[in-house]
Amino acid sequence: MGKTIVEKILSEHTKDEVKPGNVIWLDIDVRSARDFGGPNVVKHYREHYDSEPVDNPQKTFFTFDLVAPAKTIKYAINQSICRKFAKEQGIKVYDVGSGIGTHVLMEEGHIIPGKTAVGTDSHYNIVGAIGAFGQGMGDVDITFVFKTGRTWFEVPKTVKIKLKGTFEYPTTAKDLTLYILKHIKTDFALGRAIEFYGEAAESLPLYGRITLLSMVTEMGGIIGYVPFTEKTVEEVKAFTGRSDFSPTYADPDAEYEKEIEIDVSGLGSQVAAPPHPHNVYDAQDLKDVKVDMIYIGSCTNGREEDIESAWKILKGKKIKDGVVLSITPATRRAYKKLMDKGILQELFEMGAIITNPSCAGCAQGHPGMTGEGEVSLNTSNRNFPGKQGKGETYLVSPEVAAASAITGRITDPREVL
Amino acid sequence: MEKIIKSRVIKYGDNVNTDVIFPGRYTYALMEPEEMAKHAMEDLDPDFQNKVKERHIIVAGKNFGMGSSREQAVSSLVYAGVKAVIAKSFARIYFRNAINNGLLVIEHKEAAEFIEDNDEVEIDTEKNEIRVKGKVFTFPPLPQEVLKIVEAGGLINYVKAKLEKEA
Repeated sequence: MGKTIVEKILSEHTKDEVKPGNVIWLDIDVRSARDFGGPNVVKHYREHYDSEPVDNPQKTFFTFDLVAPAKTIKYAINQSICRKFAKEQGIKVYDVGSGIGTHVLMEEGHIIPGKTAVGTDSHYNIVGAIGAFGQGMGDVDITFVFKTGRTWFEVPKTVKIKLKGTFEYPTTAKDLTLYILKHIKTDFALGRAIEFYGEAAESLPLYGRITLLSMVTEMGGIIGYVPFTEKTVEEVKAFTGRSDFSPTYADPDAEYEKEIEIDVSGLGSQVAAPPHPHNVYDAQDLKDVKVDMIYIGSCTNGREEDIESAWKILKGKKIKDGVVLSITPATRRAYKKLMDKGILQELFEMGAIITNPSCAGCAQGHPGMTGEGEVSLNTSNRNFPGKQGKGETYLVSPEVAAASAITGRITDPREVL
Repeated sequence: MEKIIKSRVIKYGDNVNTDVIFPGRYTYALMEPEEMAKHAMEDLDPDFQNKVKERHIIVAGKNFGMGSSREQAVSSLVYAGVKAVIAKSFARIYFRNAINNGLLVIEHKEAAEFIEDNDEVEIDTEKNEIRVKGKVFTFPPLPQEVLKIVEAGGLINYVKAKLEKEA
């Protein structure tokens, strides 16, 4: 019997039989904790393992991306707890200002195709974009991996999503992602690995794959993959600075639990209204919703290409009075590229706020929270009540975010192009 | 784990997410257990603190625990006195966190549909049965390896015990 992509990657990292439903002991190549989970990982570690060495300091990382730099003394203390532990153990810290942990670990070539990685970030499965296996886990799980380099994992069943048709700019990967969510909600893929096929998925550039596969979490899925094209191979080489990998493809006789076809021909801009990411509408149907805050960034849409695309729409236009536009590149490297192109300067001159690389307005870190009755558009991945403040959050693409910044209401970018 | 868990239930709907189980604004303040317990469910059900005094089982719909990987979404419920959650389905990170923290989680579509708010429910963890209003639902046992983790009181304890045995 052939294997799916996830089954192949897991097989390379375990002695146990990889079959859906089996619980296997999995070797983990890269393990990391953030400034949220990190302090609890250190606390658990000291409690259970005292000052014993971690399994492998070269494969272990802290990435501070949430409250960066610390906004209160409490968070500062939490970060210092991790820094002290890292120093004792010889662990590298990608400190405040480095950017979003998963992105940094890929950019620095620690996570590459075919590898396994876990960390205290529920969007860790974003590394599916480069054909790696990643999984977000809780503090106890990560403590255990720090010490042993292994974890238990139930092999998921794999489902297939076939996309029919294609779409055109300014419809982008985020609109595709939201549209898929609208169709499958959280039922179809709950606890499953997903493989996406069809031109609309396979032609996505790497940054678009990052968008789609980061939101497999919102689909309830374990991890998602889009088969590499030749272009993907080149993009991943440039992104990770590594070429010592070969992409993983599913066997022709691999077994899928079920499959679904979704027609995305001529897809327009999509928006997820509160209170769930799968509460999705056409942008045009929400054009009367007035907007107070707009946030472009996050692991889902914080790459340089995302921000450049927003800039293209904003260029030569004005940000509507009363609208606050905040922009957060995902990493220092993304930030530098945008700076070198002069894009950040132009966005600044338009009146946008440019923050340091981080998760910023996605979790209740900072900045970009809303007050009661306010509406925010966010290019991130969750719009649960309370997640970004007291107001209401709509999830959008960078293109819709930019168009709406011009008009002050939810706007299909076609209106302003 | 207790062999019999008997209590009236608190019932919620689908997609109860980690941000309403334990709000992000309190996350990772390294809070004391009592303090964490006080904030559990506060954005979903302002009356939760009263209810949980006498009702220790939560029954919910699909995808319970969707959202972030924060473990407080499990531990805050445990500290508040919740002994078990029966749901139509669970988000996978939440399911693991529950196992690693000793919260009994049972996936059972029919039972989760049948049980109504405030019903008296008995969970028998030896016979793998949910008994309610004269009806009995059986649930499949956890996979062997996972069951060992739960019985050992969590992941770290399990492997410690295993290593000591092997040594």
